[in-house]
Amino acid sequence: MIWLTWRQHRRQVWFTLAALAALAALMVPTGLSMWGAFDDLKLGDCLARIPTAPADPAEAMPCSTALTNFRSSYQTMNLVGVLMLFLPLLIGLFWGAPLVAREIEHGTHRFAWTQGVSRRRWMLVKFGLVGAATLTASVAYGLGMSWWLTPLARAGQSRMNLVAFDMQGIVPIGYTLFAVALGVFAGTVWPKVLPAMAATLVGVIGLRIVLTTLARRHYQPAEAVTFPVVGATDSNPAAGDWVLGRGVRDASGRMVIPGIQVGCPSDAPGCAAELGLGDGAYNWLLLQPAERFWLFQTIEFGIYAALAVVLLALAMRRVRRIA
Amino acid sequence: MDTALEAGRLGKRYARHWALRECSLRVPAGRIAALVGPNGAGKSTLLHLAVGLLRPDAGSIRVFGQDPHGNTGALADIGFVAQETPLYEDFTAEELSRAGSKINRRWDSEVVRQRLTRVGVPMGKAVGKLSGGQRAQVALALALAKQPRLLLLDEPVASLDPLARKEFLQSLMGSVAESGTSVLLSSHLLADLERVCDYVIVLNSGRLRLCGPVDDLIAEHKQLVGPRNGGTPIAGVRSVIRASHTDRQSTLLVRTTGEIEDPDWAVHDVTLEDLVLAHLAEGAAEAVEVAA
Repeated sequence: MIWLTWRQHRRQVWFTLAALAALAALMVPTGLSMWGAFDDLKLGDCLARIPTAPADPAEAMPCSTALTNFRSSYQTMNLVGVLMLFLPLLIGLFWGAPLVAREIEHGTHRFAWTQGVSRRRWMLVKFGLVGAATLTASVAYGLGMSWWLTPLARAGQSRMNLVAFDMQGIVPIGYTLFAVALGVFAGTVWPKVLPAMAATLVGVIGLRIVLTTLARRHYQPAEAVTFPVVGATDSNPAAGDWVLGRGVRDASGRMVIPGIQVGCPSDAPGCAAELGLGDGAYNWLLLQPAERFWLFQTIEFGIYAALAVVLLALAMRRVRRIA
Repeated sequence: MDTALEAGRLGKRYARHWALRECSLRVPAGRIAALVGPNGAGKSTLLHLAVGLLRPDAGSIRVFGQDPHGNTGALADIGFVAQETPLYEDFTAEELSRAGSKINRRWDSEVVRQRLTRVGVPMGKAVGKLSGGQRAQVALALALAKQPRLLLLDEPVASLDPLARKEFLQSLMGSVAESGTSVLLSSHLLADLERVCDYVIVLNSGRLRLCGPVDDLIAEHKQLVGPRNGGTPIAGVRSVIRASHTDRQSTLLVRTTGEIEDPDWAVHDVTLEDLVLAHLAEGAAEAVEVAA
């Protein structure tokens, strides 16, 4: 059974490895160059000092110049990263959807399931091997992207950012497992490859959008952070928190100006009043702190992995009834 | 005598439509049984039930006394070639045989090699690139490599040209004659199977119309020609399958219980094809009545 599975999918394995190698050929040099620039500009030291010391302009200057330089050189890399968002989806489309659907579309299940191996065993071996292969690929991808993204993340692109969060850590593993499981399940419902792929496409993108935009911010209660309008140093742009909302509130806590932050120098009296802000007005931020990155990663991975398990169990039930 | 296949009030339903209903039949071991009926009669359904791909919605089916559904032990005794001989197109016959040896406890790779060499099918060519006849030979060789006690073939010759049909059936008969394997093969054309089968099962609209050994069926069925008969019972006739009348004369195809001794009737033998067609027509007439 293992040999049969290997023989059936070996071409797909080579294609996948070739695609991953091509990807590595793109990502490794760009990643090395980003890390090189990050170290050459001594951004690490710079960024470590920002939150602790209120900026001494003389010292801060080279730091912000370095940051600007780095960002202007590598900002476009984010676009490359966005392309990588589709990797789990592609694995689901090309590994998950055809797994059962192609057998039934070509009728070969009537050969495979009438030999001396039960359907249960057939599924366990196939799902197990394909699951292991996709797991390996997605671990490599998840960890590789984490390494690649770190310089960008530390230079201002928050790890909690909606797009960046999805590309690194363990969530890509969860997305991949889910996409493959959905593909397999779709193949048992629509036993033809193309409809199964279409259903996988819609399902994966749909659920990703829903969970990302609606659910993720509620994994933990958001924290409110306040700081005064007068004499405020802007919060560190590289702090990496995920800001859900911001604005200026008056002393009674009522929102006066939503959507912005105001900083008045302490030696400019009347600055706040000019903006129509009374005494006691303060900046308000609602955020998910950057330290929750791994907690959120674990929660989101857990959701997708659990869905994957449920979908595979349903697929196994359905396969027992296919003729 | 041993029973290869036995169905008791077997039924299978797709949504509300019964593809097979109240089907009770028995195929003794060692027979070459033809399963005949028009498209949609329930032939594939019966075969899929027999090989455990489907689970009955009513009644039961047994192969050598075992329920084949989800029973790998029973499957070891069954060789199955599905309609259109589905095989992994990019595999060679060699690789398919290797796959078979990995997923079956009993497997004789020599059978595959020898058969395919004999009929001139290359072992090292992807089966997707073989002709229809060659593919059918590969599928048959794989089914025989299991050394089955019952071989089930679903429309094995439907996609073959006449020459390939003949060759396929000849090579099939050659192998099962040696091993004593029971065979059940389906076709919508009796003519394909008439020369090889010694047992006949006729299905129409999901109902069993006829089942029995060819010799007995031919002996039991007679054509009677005599004076116009409006339905008066005739001694020795069990049932009238088909009747046609002119003003003065009736021609009846009947199933008898013994000799027809009534001198009014001229008794003629019938061919297998005649009696199968008569039973199919009878089924169709009933179906029309039910619909009306």
